[in-house]
Amino acid sequence: MKPRPRVFVTGIGVVCAGANNVAELRSLLTAPRRDFHPPTVFACQGEAANLLAAEVSGFEPEAANPLPRTHRLALKAAREAVGTGSAPDTIVLGTTTGGILTTETALKAGITSPDAYRYHGLDTVALHLAQALHVRGPVLTLSTACSSAAAAMSVAQALLRAGLARRVLAGGADSLCRLTFHGFRALQLLAPSGCTPLDANRDGMTVGEGAGFLLLESSPSERPILALLSGSGLSCDAYHASSPHPEGAGAAQAMRRALEDAGVEPAAVDYVNLHGTGTINNDAAEANAIRRVFGSPLPPLSSTKGLAGHPLAAAGAIEAVISIVALGEGLLPANTGLGTVDPGLGLAPVREPTRARVSTVLSNSFGFGGNNACLVLQAPAPFDGPAPAFAPSSLPAFRVAGSACLTAKGGLDDTWNALGAGQSAAGFVPDAVFSKVVQAAFVRRLKRLPRLVLALAQTAHAASGQSAAPEFVALGTAWGPLAETQDFLRKLFETDEQFSSPTDFIGSVHNAPAGHVALLLGATAPNLTFSAADRSFVQAILAASLGLASGKASALVMAAEAHEARLSPLLDPAAATSPLASDGGAAFVLVPDDTAPGARLRWLGESGGTEFLHEFTGRYDAILVSTPASHGTDQLGNLAEAMSPFPLVTFRDRLGQHASVGATATAIAARAVIEGYLPLAASPIPLPRKRVLLLELGPRIAAIEVFA
Amino acid sequence: MTEPTDPLIPELARKLVETLGLDMAPESVDPAAPLIGAGLGIDSIDTLELVVMIDKDYGVKIDDRAAGVEALSSLNGLAAFIRRRRSASPT
Repeated sequence: MKPRPRVFVTGIGVVCAGANNVAELRSLLTAPRRDFHPPTVFACQGEAANLLAAEVSGFEPEAANPLPRTHRLALKAAREAVGTGSAPDTIVLGTTTGGILTTETALKAGITSPDAYRYHGLDTVALHLAQALHVRGPVLTLSTACSSAAAAMSVAQALLRAGLARRVLAGGADSLCRLTFHGFRALQLLAPSGCTPLDANRDGMTVGEGAGFLLLESSPSERPILALLSGSGLSCDAYHASSPHPEGAGAAQAMRRALEDAGVEPAAVDYVNLHGTGTINNDAAEANAIRRVFGSPLPPLSSTKGLAGHPLAAAGAIEAVISIVALGEGLLPANTGLGTVDPGLGLAPVREPTRARVSTVLSNSFGFGGNNACLVLQAPAPFDGPAPAFAPSSLPAFRVAGSACLTAKGGLDDTWNALGAGQSAAGFVPDAVFSKVVQAAFVRRLKRLPRLVLALAQTAHAASGQSAAPEFVALGTAWGPLAETQDFLRKLFETDEQFSSPTDFIGSVHNAPAGHVALLLGATAPNLTFSAADRSFVQAILAASLGLASGKASALVMAAEAHEARLSPLLDPAAATSPLASDGGAAFVLVPDDTAPGARLRWLGESGGTEFLHEFTGRYDAILVSTPASHGTDQLGNLAEAMSPFPLVTFRDRLGQHASVGATATAIAARAVIEGYLPLAASPIPLPRKRVLLLELGPRIAAIEVFA
Repeated sequence: MTEPTDPLIPELARKLVETLGLDMAPESVDPAAPLIGAGLGIDSIDTLELVVMIDKDYGVKIDDRAAGVEALSSLNGLAAFIRRRRSASPT
């Protein structure tokens, strides 16, 4: 096998409890000292008042900054990673909280102006970074709960190896907020006196916060090389919504995939930075997985969450920075907080910071939804080229083996027929259309979004005729499970912040629906959820395409939104201004291109400008344009000029005003290129070339093409 | 041990079905049958949901494993547990 192109780490940045930059983190790891205290960024009362968190302090003056805390934590660490050199061309961010802390405060105060919620969306964090750091290319946001940042590193690595990017800012950020703090409290997972990972008397985790970033390059020239990101491994337990597989099967699979990807034998690993949250179940499952992968003897290992808490989506990035400090300093970080090791784990964690030769580190991150992501980081090696040729729109096309969509008119056939009859398919998806697709017992606890997503997944999978589970699963959703979020916060605020629903908390994470899809289909494959406003679907297509291009046999790509009566109008201008609220989405099973008939999908790019489209214009029968309500007609007018004389087809009035409607339009387009006409205008648009372009407009422009 | 006349039993049965979204009528929950590990399909998350409900609605905490085993043994067991804990610490 030919060696994979190297991915170089040329910048690191961090902010976490106890350290506001890399230098402070280095000191903290050398002389560990933890400072857990009740959160101050929101007030807790009653029984919650004495519970501890791992809060960042003094990272910047608390000026009258309207930006949510996650955004500010992220920019602090991102600036440190980028330094003064050339700007990154791409951002890949993992986050679960976005602006929720600010949203919670506004909801609690009963504020009904959408302006107060404009930084709620996960996408706004990475867009804030892109604007501040002058990033021109793709700005990707994924959300896989506590493995988010490590998954972001894996996607960044794939982009660099494929030549789609040259310099990627990749990391994660999450702030403390009521949702996660009270959510983990309702799950009885918060350690009353602070977490003690791997301890015989461990009694839970300590929620933390922060941000971590790596600057990753394929051909470094101006910055010193700090480390190599040599490998990554993703997997999904497909076992339970929130509990890890007890034997750590998925965790072991992700570790093995990361080691194999790096070309590293388990015996060559010098240190393992564990996920090690301090909960009974996580630590037991992870210990089982570690023993399965490494056998005997085990490498030195520790969890650093006893020092900095569990910063959720940021954990994988902060711990990657810790791993790079370990490589650079020759330091084995201590398992802070440890008293008596749990003898049942069969592990001997590093007790004190220890000097040692460290040249290969494995870093583990596991999250809700059974989402596992592991990274292999290694000591620097020189850049001896050649780097992959930079070709940002070079991904191949993939064949649509099966598809599904859900609109107010029903599934794909009903929607196609309604459009053909000149009707609109905008509005809510009727319950009767999707509620019976998956058996009742499976969806008992699930609300609207996961039910829509499961129905889409099941239908597309069945239509594809594939008997095996998909080898890659990607979901796009701009707003995630809003009903779960709203119900969780409503109950919390109604009870003076004393009670909340553990079910709603588990259901509220953006990747919960895709986790249920994994359970439904038995898919232990990589499972990524993208949440980048109206570009979420196109980003899911990108991730799936990268997976297929690296040899996966099939990918299930989905995108969906579920309207929520209170939150949707506050968060999405489209829901606030449209006379007809809508939801729904679509799903596709993609397979490598072959000679079989059918539509093809190809990811073309995402950019802050329209220049990248120039090489594609002129070959389409129609250009489908999705215009979010937040961006409007100016952009469309400019585009119409650039694309002239090819017709721009706006479709939101026909398919519904929601952020995943681009997926629905793609499902219609995939049929249209076969049928030879597109029923998305007053009279059907003929498609003699059987090729259409789909553009998502907004703060960035994302594009895919559909052809036959 | 069944006490069909205890008004707490039908109330708890209704809350059980509502809180967990069980696809069954409250009257059809057997007050003597185990809540966990039997036919209801209740798992660890449901258990936590019930713990929150019992604390919120009855002011009774299920704060350790032994209490959980007793309280969630059956609807009868839960009713008895709530009554005993309430009389021990009136609120």
